[in-house]
Amino acid sequence: MKINYNWLKDYIDVKLSPEKLAELLTMSGLTVDSLERKGDDAILEIEVTSNRPDWLSYIGVAREIAALTGKILKIPLITANRKSETKNLINVKIEDKKLCPRYTARVISNIKIEESPEWLKSRIEAMGLKSVNNVVDITNFCLFETGEPMHAFDLDRLSGGKIIVRTSRKGERITTIDGVERTLEEGVLVIADDSRPVAVAGVMGGLNTEVTASTKNILLEAAAFDPISIRRTSRVLGLPSESSYRFERKVDLANISYASARASAMIMELAGGQEKAFIDIGSKQEKNKPVELRFSRLNSVLGVEIPAQKAKKILTALGLKIISSSKDKIKFSIPGFRSDLKNEIDLIEEAARIYGYDKIPDTIPGMAASPARESHDITIAQFIRALLTGMGLDEIITYSLLSKDIILKSGSLPEAIVEVKNPLSGEQEAMRVNLAGGMLNSIIWNINRKTKDLKLFELGNIYIKDGDGKFVERKHLSIGMAGEIADGSSGPRKSSFFDLKGVIQVLLSELGVKDVSFTDTGDGNLSPSARASINAGQDNIGVLGEVSRRTLTDFDIKENVYYSEVDIDSILKHVNLEKRFMELPRYPSVFRDISIVVNKGISNADIISLIESKGATILKDVRLVDRYAGKQIPDGKISLTYRLEYRDNAKTLEDKEVLGVHSDVLRSLEEKFGAKLR
Amino acid sequence: MKDALKRFEEEALKEIGLSLPNRDLLETLRIKYLGRKGILTELFKKMSSLPPEDRPEIGKLINIVKENVARALNDKIKSAAATEESKDRLDITLPGISQRPGKIHPITRTISDICRIFSGLGFRVVEGPEIETEHYNFETLNIPLEHPSRDAFDTFYLKSEEKFLLRSHTSPVQTRFMEKNKPPFSIIVPGKVFRPDATDASHSFMFHQVEGLAVGSDIKFSDLKGVLNIFAKTMFGNSIQTRFRPSFFPFTEPSAEMDIRWGKGWLEILGAGMVNPKVFANVGYDPKKVTGLAFGMGVERIAMLKYGIGDIRMFFENDVRFLRQF
Repeated sequence: MKINYNWLKDYIDVKLSPEKLAELLTMSGLTVDSLERKGDDAILEIEVTSNRPDWLSYIGVAREIAALTGKILKIPLITANRKSETKNLINVKIEDKKLCPRYTARVISNIKIEESPEWLKSRIEAMGLKSVNNVVDITNFCLFETGEPMHAFDLDRLSGGKIIVRTSRKGERITTIDGVERTLEEGVLVIADDSRPVAVAGVMGGLNTEVTASTKNILLEAAAFDPISIRRTSRVLGLPSESSYRFERKVDLANISYASARASAMIMELAGGQEKAFIDIGSKQEKNKPVELRFSRLNSVLGVEIPAQKAKKILTALGLKIISSSKDKIKFSIPGFRSDLKNEIDLIEEAARIYGYDKIPDTIPGMAASPARESHDITIAQFIRALLTGMGLDEIITYSLLSKDIILKSGSLPEAIVEVKNPLSGEQEAMRVNLAGGMLNSIIWNINRKTKDLKLFELGNIYIKDGDGKFVERKHLSIGMAGEIADGSSGPRKSSFFDLKGVIQVLLSELGVKDVSFTDTGDGNLSPSARASINAGQDNIGVLGEVSRRTLTDFDIKENVYYSEVDIDSILKHVNLEKRFMELPRYPSVFRDISIVVNKGISNADIISLIESKGATILKDVRLVDRYAGKQIPDGKISLTYRLEYRDNAKTLEDKEVLGVHSDVLRSLEEKFGAKLR
Repeated sequence: MKDALKRFEEEALKEIGLSLPNRDLLETLRIKYLGRKGILTELFKKMSSLPPEDRPEIGKLINIVKENVARALNDKIKSAAATEESKDRLDITLPGISQRPGKIHPITRTISDICRIFSGLGFRVVEGPEIETEHYNFETLNIPLEHPSRDAFDTFYLKSEEKFLLRSHTSPVQTRFMEKNKPPFSIIVPGKVFRPDATDASHSFMFHQVEGLAVGSDIKFSDLKGVLNIFAKTMFGNSIQTRFRPSFFPFTEPSAEMDIRWGKGWLEILGAGMVNPKVFANVGYDPKKVTGLAFGMGVERIAMLKYGIGDIRMFFENDVRFLRQF
């Protein structure tokens, strides 16, 4: 809401500059978002929190300033209204008191609709509204002054002299003042005459009964409506207004009669006319319960000693009245404009707010010592991040919400997709079912910007609908590689399946995952020429491979991309980060290399498992150290060099022992795979 | 014998001194004078022909001569090595061979920084689900249905029979945790949150928050100020100025926002307050026996301030030229 600095001075004797005032209000919880100077005047844009509807008016803001500065709040006095009562002029009926706890209608006759005087126009315009005519401007002026929204009907256009506050019937229509014809759902609170709705209650008046240049007699409505009903209506109709904004935050019942009388007096002053009738139905004031404040509680919650006298002064300045008071506590009655004050803690907040948060000291809580160990999955996530960045991978974070199109392209079954009901755009319509879409989006983004060495990973949740339609969130890890590997030792080379596999192997090994194997997979996003599922024991924990041409085309990527996705939740039970010392070997190892030439079709895994099976107990390790095809090697063959480590843990190995086992290994390689020694 | 040794020493030192600084030549000289079949060995053999009473003195002399010659040789060898090494210099301006370390995403980094500060104060890191219910996202936090206080929390709903949603703040983890744990405790909760906001330089429909909660029998508003001021000073430097403004959140009372001094003005960096007794009642705690402090902050906002980033969208574009700066 806008607050016009000079207008505000009508209600409180402000000595502070607009800037100082803005600072004072902001520090007491009424945030001034911006301040626009206009000579010695200024407009303050205030941000009113939803618990303080009383601040949605000049008098409410002035009351706050009065409490902060000790100045006197000046509420305009109402000059006696000129009355000449006419009986049975109108008839008001409320069908549901819960939806309309109070309704007042004031008839003012023989008025003259004119342009507003300059002072009124300029105030209305300062609030960002257009001046309409004297009567409409006065209702708006009083809305801002008192916080009570009011509406003036052209009395002569109300059919049957009746006002009925009722809910709409299905299909009823009304054209609102903004010229839009609206069809109402059943149950919308409306003001009706004896034939039709004439206003959407608390939201906007109807065009057919609006005050125009030819209006002679008006009915001035000031009422209270049920906040939830008004909020729902305003939302359904997409019609937020100054009125609905205040009604959905709740208006003060007691304020209604003041606002109506004030508006009436102003109308008669500026537009002439006389009051012919005043009808007032419903509760005249809020039934707020008294609230007690214990000084000991005040001080223990805040951690500062606010003297009892000080607290008492603050709360009474805010409009609370003392019912009873003792050394330890005070009981207050709560005014209608502060229905937000229901419990002791609400009074503590008021006292603290006005006392000043800056006067409360800094202390450090005596926290209970608890084992501050993070849960398993949080520790593991940190561990994985440290490991992968250590291996040169950059972490990315991509959106959990994507277009359905992207999600389908990255390989989801449509029925597993969790969809968003109210996305703002097609880019946010569904939840990712894997991390591939985000990874490929990031890769193409970087390729388009000519980055050549991409090694990326993401740790984040995926979301799926399971067979029973239940939503499941799982933590996944994705790794993507594209372009070159350049570590400076030799020229850059293309990244490969094995660069990715190496990362996965080191990762799982460091996580203490045992019994890792790589087997064939049918994953359709990966190319049949290079893809594998990753297993820990019997559990499938993920996939890795080269992204298929089809998927790359969908993402407009021309380069090879290697991708792996691991289900972190499913490896949790395999992870073992506990370490135990193992005795170092006391006797030296003997290393022997084997260089063989075999057919290309024979897999490394088969050769290693054969060597391991023949290596007896003294073979402690075997690994491939060189692989070569080319000159000197016949077509269709490959040269492989394995390094074998032999050791006996009980004594120093003798040459002949090693020789025996080693010859066994060689012989079986020849027999089983036709290996030729080089 | 003494004379012979003297001559030997002079001759050897002279030849070593005149020799070129070449390690091969010097090795030949070593063999000639000190080798197993060298001149000194020959002289040593002659010692047996001396009278026994002379032998200790001559023995000592031989050792001295040997040491002197050996030292001269070693000095010459070292200087020869230095001369040779200086001839074959590496181009030390060639790049080092290394693996460029990967980088943690600036959001993760900021979350870690925040969590580390609070861990040091005894807070424990806890996480919670991103798909939530209205019950935890709103109701347990004293944000009633169809209440204007919900306006601050525009929320994505999911297509489903029941009303599931994407959490619009990390606060539901507060009540989830309290339902399962008894005070006293203090937790810090990082995570993703979602709000249907049109994307621009300062808005994103997905972002990150860190939530803090400490509950005990004697937690005070002054503790909240103390903890958050320590946080601000650690995060932004000891000289950072802060201020606490009253505010409103349905789940805290009294509520506050903390601003930091930024240039000429103040910037809000977090919302906080004392846990509303209604929230305690909602999770089955006795509001008469416990008090608590709570706070929540936007990670992107803090990262943008700390690193001087002007556009929130950069965090999710994942341009490595951006990521590798952190």
